[in-house]
Amino acid sequence: MASRYPVGPVGHATVSPEVKKPQSITVGGFRISTQKLPILKAEPIEEMTRQLGIAPPEMIFGDNHVTIEHQKSGWGIDFNAFDALDRVDKTGQSMLQVAHSKEWQQSREKTHEGIKDVVKPFDWSYSTDYKGTLSPNAPSFESTEKPIPIEILKRPDPIVFFDEVVLYEDELADNGIAMLSCKIRVMPARLLLLSRFFMRLDNVLIRLRDTRVYVDFETREVIREYQAKECEYEKVRQILASTRDDIPALMRDPNRLSEILQIVEKSSERIILDG
Amino acid sequence: MSDLDRAIEQLRACRLIPESQVRELCYKARELLIEEGNVVSVDAPVTICGDIHGQFHDLMELFRVGGDVPDTNYLFMGDFVDRGFYSLESFLLLLCLKVRYPDRITLIRGNHESRQITTVYGFYDECIRKYGSANVWRYCCEVFDYLALGAIVLGASSELEPSGSNANDLTQSTIAVDDGELETEVLNSRGEVTMSSYRPRQRASSDVDTDTQDILPPRDISAAPSQTSAPTRTGAPGTGASGDGNGSSMTSRTGAVLCVHGGLSPLIDSVDKIRLIDRKQEVPHEGAMCDLLWSDPDEIEGWGLSPRGAGFLFGGDIVKQFNHQNGLSLIARAHQLVMEGYKEMFDGGIVTVWSAPNYCYRCGNVAAILELGEDTSNGGTIARSNGEYGRSNGLSGPSSVSSPGRRYRVFEAAAQDTRGMPAKKPVADYFL
Repeated sequence: MASRYPVGPVGHATVSPEVKKPQSITVGGFRISTQKLPILKAEPIEEMTRQLGIAPPEMIFGDNHVTIEHQKSGWGIDFNAFDALDRVDKTGQSMLQVAHSKEWQQSREKTHEGIKDVVKPFDWSYSTDYKGTLSPNAPSFESTEKPIPIEILKRPDPIVFFDEVVLYEDELADNGIAMLSCKIRVMPARLLLLSRFFMRLDNVLIRLRDTRVYVDFETREVIREYQAKECEYEKVRQILASTRDDIPALMRDPNRLSEILQIVEKSSERIILDG
Repeated sequence: MSDLDRAIEQLRACRLIPESQVRELCYKARELLIEEGNVVSVDAPVTICGDIHGQFHDLMELFRVGGDVPDTNYLFMGDFVDRGFYSLESFLLLLCLKVRYPDRITLIRGNHESRQITTVYGFYDECIRKYGSANVWRYCCEVFDYLALGAIVLGASSELEPSGSNANDLTQSTIAVDDGELETEVLNSRGEVTMSSYRPRQRASSDVDTDTQDILPPRDISAAPSQTSAPTRTGAPGTGASGDGNGSSMTSRTGAVLCVHGGLSPLIDSVDKIRLIDRKQEVPHEGAMCDLLWSDPDEIEGWGLSPRGAGFLFGGDIVKQFNHQNGLSLIARAHQLVMEGYKEMFDGGIVTVWSAPNYCYRCGNVAAILELGEDTSNGGTIARSNGEYGRSNGLSGPSSVSSPGRRYRVFEAAAQDTRGMPAKKPVADYFL
């Protein structure tokens, strides 16, 4: 599948006339840019469906992206909806079922024996392990134990650029939410990007998949961390029940849920770019 | 001015009415809705609307574009609440209008008009926040249980009256269809035609070639200053003539239009079967009632199961067969977000209408409403080709039913008070 890199909107020809230029900033030899546009129209959605081989989510911000490029070395990383969705399971092997599915199917057994075919099975929760799309000639990352320096990132250094960009979102036919979004904050000496996939299938499962990219402008060190967390819905609800907080609100807050969910997968990579 | 008129005025200003008044309103609404059948009969002309989802300011924009109640006859296909920030104001206003002008506004049930869904997707929380208790939520849910499941539009014209003058200036030079019938027209919120399609006269089959011309790109319209006034209204508003088909020598060429929130059900092969459902209950997880509110059309053959493990999908052959058997020319439904505000599928056998622009305040989509005109060719006599009469008279074969003329008014999100909205520009935070 052709990657979208270098950046160019999928539905370029049909983008509405009030198209906005991407926001961007260049700091320490790194160019950071983001673009936020409306969801795709019917035509580009059909094209994307054809290319992906699965039905895209209900809200597909196919023109949106967050990109970091290092001009001297030619290294770059881009976060976009198409490439993220291309990593969703298209076979239906990891398919979840909504909470009332058993009840629903049992009630149907007698009446609709003819209707057994599941239409185009795929992972409709749009769970992705997307870690960003590297530029075509980017040197590869190496596995590392070195963590992203959280303590330094906790310092209130001035933020010179900030944006939050949604790449896709689906309401799971009113059975919860699946959302992939990307946040970036650029400080004078470093930046942090968080690409977060959040999925809550009501009464079934809660899932978080975070990719963090840290760049130190002076040393040109890039660290990329991936962390997948999940937990059964009911377990989370029970843990939250012991607090006095508003449980439905907490169930919508990935930051709070992140503290509760168990890590199921983790990896860390780094690279030092040529100056 | 009556209390009800005062309540309407107050709600139009996006101000809530006291809890005691809500209780009274819901009681009156229930008394009214209980008298309606599961499938309400509505005479054209009518304006059909899709999901609203608590986007109050956009509902006001909808009324600006489509005309006010009672001047315009409205049919709302459910999902009034949840997601948006003003579910209460939106639903209570629609309910007030229903009680005040029962014959000029029809409300049918969406899958969000349910206790279970509203506790998860915002309406319950909004009631607690704005009224301090769950009472108002409970009153509203009781009304939900009485909402009709569908509607049948009768007496729609197969041909549209061409739109107002400003549109003609743009169309005359480009349209050269001799003696064609105007079948569909798309207008922007200023009432300017952006697309028209014609079908040749006298060939009243639903699958004849249509001649579609894009007159203007949908959203790139620079109107002359004088054209920015209120949209041109076409088709005289007023009650549709209410003939009952007695002695009518021929059926209308236009079949009836079934309106339902989600779609069809494998348990339902005729409109009459919808009439037999016991609807006065919470939306169940199974059965025909659930399907009507939840199912989706899809590019498949026959029926399919949603990969989610609950819910049906239905293909074009199912729609064609259902429409044929029931003397229908079109199914109008809502339930799914479509970027252009409306989406016709299966040779125009079904249309999705979506009326929440910039959905969830961030999708950037446009919304649409669908206007069906009144057929005056039979002297206002409405033929009942809705499955009650049509099948027996031998006249409504598949080729004698043609689709109604369809005028889509497309509109964008209203400029609005942004308090309480997600900030357009995200606030920088020290996330980790």
